Amino acid sequence: MTSTTTPWICRGCLVRLARRPARHHVRFLTQTAAPESMPPALVARARAIAADHKQLTDKLSQGFDARAAKRVGEFSSILHALQKWDQANESVAELTSLIHDPTTDAELRELAADDLEASRTALADASQSLTTSLVPVHPFAHLPCLIEIRPGAGGSEAAIFAGDLLRMYQAFCNRNHVRNTLLKYENTNGTQEGGVPLSEAILEVASDGAYGIFRCEAGVHRVQRVPVTETKGRTHTSAASVLVLPSVEERSLGEEDVEDPESDYYIDPKEVKTEIMRARGAGGQHVNTTESAVRLTHLPTSISVSMQDSRSQPKNKEKAWRLLRSRLAQLRREKREEDMTAMRRSVVGVAKMGRGDKVRTYNWGQQRVTDHRSGTTVHDLDDVMAGGQTLDKVMESVRGWLMEKDVEALLAEESLTKK
Amino acid sequence: MPRLPTSLLRKARAIDPLLPRLLGVCRELRAAQNELRWLREYADKIARGRSGKAHRTLLRGMVENRASGKPLQYIVGTEYFGDLEIKCRPGVLIPRQETAASVTHLTHLLRSAQGLPDELRVLDLCTGTGCIPLLFKHEFSDAPHPVRLRLLGIDLSQEALDLAKQNLERLQEPDVDDESSVINFLQADVLKESWDEQTVERPCIQAALNFSRQPQFWDVLISNPPYISPSGYWTTTTRSVRGFEPKLALVPPASEGATDTDQGDTFYPRLLTIASECEAKIILLEVADMKQALRVANLARRLNTCTGIEIWRDQPDQKSGTEHQDGFPVIGTGNARSVLCWRGPGAAWLGKEDELNVMGAATDMPLSLQPQFTYPFVESSEDSRSSYLEDRTMHNHRPRGAYKLFEAGRQLVSQDSKKK
Repeated sequence: MTSTTTPWICRGCLVRLARRPARHHVRFLTQTAAPESMPPALVARARAIAADHKQLTDKLSQGFDARAAKRVGEFSSILHALQKWDQANESVAELTSLIHDPTTDAELRELAADDLEASRTALADASQSLTTSLVPVHPFAHLPCLIEIRPGAGGSEAAIFAGDLLRMYQAFCNRNHVRNTLLKYENTNGTQEGGVPLSEAILEVASDGAYGIFRCEAGVHRVQRVPVTETKGRTHTSAASVLVLPSVEERSLGEEDVEDPESDYYIDPKEVKTEIMRARGAGGQHVNTTESAVRLTHLPTSISVSMQDSRSQPKNKEKAWRLLRSRLAQLRREKREEDMTAMRRSVVGVAKMGRGDKVRTYNWGQQRVTDHRSGTTVHDLDDVMAGGQTLDKVMESVRGWLMEKDVEALLAEESLTKK
Repeated sequence: MPRLPTSLLRKARAIDPLLPRLLGVCRELRAAQNELRWLREYADKIARGRSGKAHRTLLRGMVENRASGKPLQYIVGTEYFGDLEIKCRPGVLIPRQETAASVTHLTHLLRSAQGLPDELRVLDLCTGTGCIPLLFKHEFSDAPHPVRLRLLGIDLSQEALDLAKQNLERLQEPDVDDESSVINFLQADVLKESWDEQTVERPCIQAALNFSRQPQFWDVLISNPPYISPSGYWTTTTRSVRGFEPKLALVPPASEGATDTDQGDTFYPRLLTIASECEAKIILLEVADMKQALRVANLARRLNTCTGIEIWRDQPDQKSGTEHQDGFPVIGTGNARSVLCWRGPGAAWLGKEDELNVMGAATDMPLSLQPQFTYPFVESSEDSRSSYLEDRTMHNHRPRGAYKLFEAGRQLVSQDSKKK
């Protein structure tokens, strides 16, 4: 007997051992591409939207309604994806039932098995596109944006790196033909001179949809390299923060759009009570009063404006309307600014200024860029810093990650509302 | 009138030494402050370039004048009527804001109307300063569909007509092509029947229209006639109105055997007759109060020439709950201010076609609905709209009857000139 003798194994076990990997493999595939991979909550949501869509199209067939038409347009992609998903689901179910049916002959079963692979990938695609279409578009995604870059921890090295980031984004915009202007540039000396370490820069990307593209860039960017200011050759870790804000200011409407319901200056005349103050008594020919005061009250906010400057009542009325409009616009602007500050705080909350909560690391020593959210690592650091296609790749991966997060949030929200 | 509290007078004096004088007529501090500000602005305007002392004297004089009860409008010389600044002068009634509100509301209804004639004709009786035709035109100047307007103001007083013509000149925009609308002012006595003796100063309306080659048929008739009864004149009007405004424009002339109320209503039967003679589709008559409004509305219902009657309050543009008085819908807020009647295409212009009208429910009206023509040669047709179209074509060739009257008028003039 040699020491290398293999222990006795029964034939049945051997056969099972030989078969198992193959079976495992198949099961693994079914798990990823199975119809169950689509969360039921999302499917239910898609169905509800389809029902809504049907209702809206019925409504539209009776008469045009701008709002309904817009919603139908939004829903149509979801509807399309849902239809595709349904088709793929059906074909998969049909094929599996064909395979499991003992009456089908072997040849047909083989063909079905081949087809099953194809329709499973189709189903996976359909699930993916349905998920994507169901994920709500960020409310500000269509807006232009402002990118604010500030050095974080790390002293002048951080300031130098902030400048590098600014150049990276400028190069990225130029390569993609996106209109960008430098709104503010301040170096550590407090001047606008270039080449000196940056203390704050605001880059405005004026194209529509820019916020959707750059949203993923917000956060702390960490750099690991031997700084030019370092004399002993040690590697430093510093950080720069990037803030991405949707720029709404440009789109806020002025006083000239009084008739536009979207404008701050719009007031529904039905919501305003007009009071005309007159002398008491019979009026008409009996009295030659000079009373011309007008008081307007906006009922929802109970803001009241009275005007008596002019002898002409219509002029007083007009002035009172103008005053009421500007008061309400002021109120609305303040509210919007509050919302913006809240949003800004939430953005800054993500991007804490420390080195710990970094979103991305640029490592010069290893010529590597790692995004910590999507877990993507690329090794062409120079191309990234030049705003090249490698940066595109990184940003794309982060956008994918953001979308996944959005889906998770959506599901959580949906299950919450179910309860 | 309650005595003004001394504290109020003291408070007013603390603000401005001239204020207490104005409190007597304004009764309220806020109103007095406004009036003083306007007087001061006016004094600034006319005493520009003169010494401060002259300015002060002028202002003090004006305040004294105002304190004696003279209307601010007569002192400053203008009054706002809608968007227009109308010139005022003693001897002519000051335009009232309530009138402007009614006229503006009517124009707003008509502006957006479909199927208006190519030339909309508006007759204003007892026009005074001419404010109603001027405002009517002004309100139509930015109408969505341009409408050619023919406006005619008629008044008995030569003084009023002169002022009306001045106002027309003042407000005529020189650079605007005024081919689109015509405003004229004519002297005539609204109360005079066509068979009464005619004079050049006081012809009846028909004669005046013929004499000045104005059309016989009008689409809209508006009037703010004298409507205060003699007893009302002494009890309801303010001292400033009694003391400074012409009684001619406020109280109708006395006639034999008429009661006090009847005298107040003197103009309305005559105005409704004129309206049916000149084929007016819309009639807007100002009244003193709800009682008079109901009397006028009932009169119009008895005459049976209108398909719809409404009573408007001071601010007819302000929505109020659906209210009915004696079966007439009452619109707006404030005191009852005017009576609106319509018939034929007028209902469509006002957008009242689909509303259940008062008259239709009460009587069967086919006969009464037919237009009543003064001149026998016009065949009345059953469809009021087609008769209306006929009426339009009639304007081109002068009706024979009208020509006769025109001749009569010419003879009158020639006689008159011979006398001189």
